[in-house]
Amino acid sequence: MAQRPQKKLFSRKKVCRFCADKELGIDYKDVKTLRNFVSERGKIIPRRIVGTCATHQRQLCEAIKRARHIALLPYSGSIQS
Amino acid sequence: MRRYETTFVLRPSLSEEEINSVIERTTTILTGSDGKIIELDRWGMKKLAYLIKKESQGFYVFSDYCSTPEAVAEMERRFRLDDAVLRYMTIKLNNDISEEEIAEATAQAEQKKAAAAVEAESTDDDTDSSTELNEDDDTDDDLSADDSDRSE
Ligand SMILES: [Zn+2]
Repeated sequence: MAQRPQKKLFSRKKVCRFCADKELGIDYKDVKTLRNFVSERGKIIPRRIVGTCATHQRQLCEAIKRARHIALLPYSGSIQS
Repeated sequence: MRRYETTFVLRPSLSEEEINSVIERTTTILTGSDGKIIELDRWGMKKLAYLIKKESQGFYVFSDYCSTPEAVAEMERRFRLDDAVLRYMTIKLNNDISEEEIAEATAQAEQKKAAAAVEAESTDDDTDSSTELNEDDDTDDDLSADDSDRSE
């Protein structure tokens, strides 16, 4: 009873995915990766939730905006398909 | 010479000839003043994330090249006038690229293309009849590759 593991449920490790995986580049053409960092409504998920470091979040933000411009990602609204 | 990459989206209603002629016209502009095309990739028909000029699909073309700022400006001016072009985006990758770097990048692009072609060929042979693969355009190649592995 003393050691309840419940607390662990809410502590997720926040490690920057791009720092952890050096192979994983940030590219506006790579929509599959970018989709992990936008919400269902198409918004960019804040750093405090996804845990990316400042440098990579900035690059990610830029890439998402580029992908939006050429209609690979939506500006708003649900992601189709 | 500066290195750029441009992605443009064409109307889905265009015929193959019309698509070819748009691509040809742009490459002519870009290579006009000693520019070179490093890579030209037809991504093909994709669903747009939102409607553009009432179209829900578009034909994507990607090009990686080195050229002059004037040529790029001219290309974009044409794009703006051309009703067939739904969207375009140019990104400058490099301020100054040498001949060796161009050759290297071109070789790399060709290698990538050859690898993709081999993969496509090997999957074409034995997974023609599988229809489930068409669900997701992006993962088509990967999926079919996995599939053929399993079936063998
Ligand atoms: Zn990072």
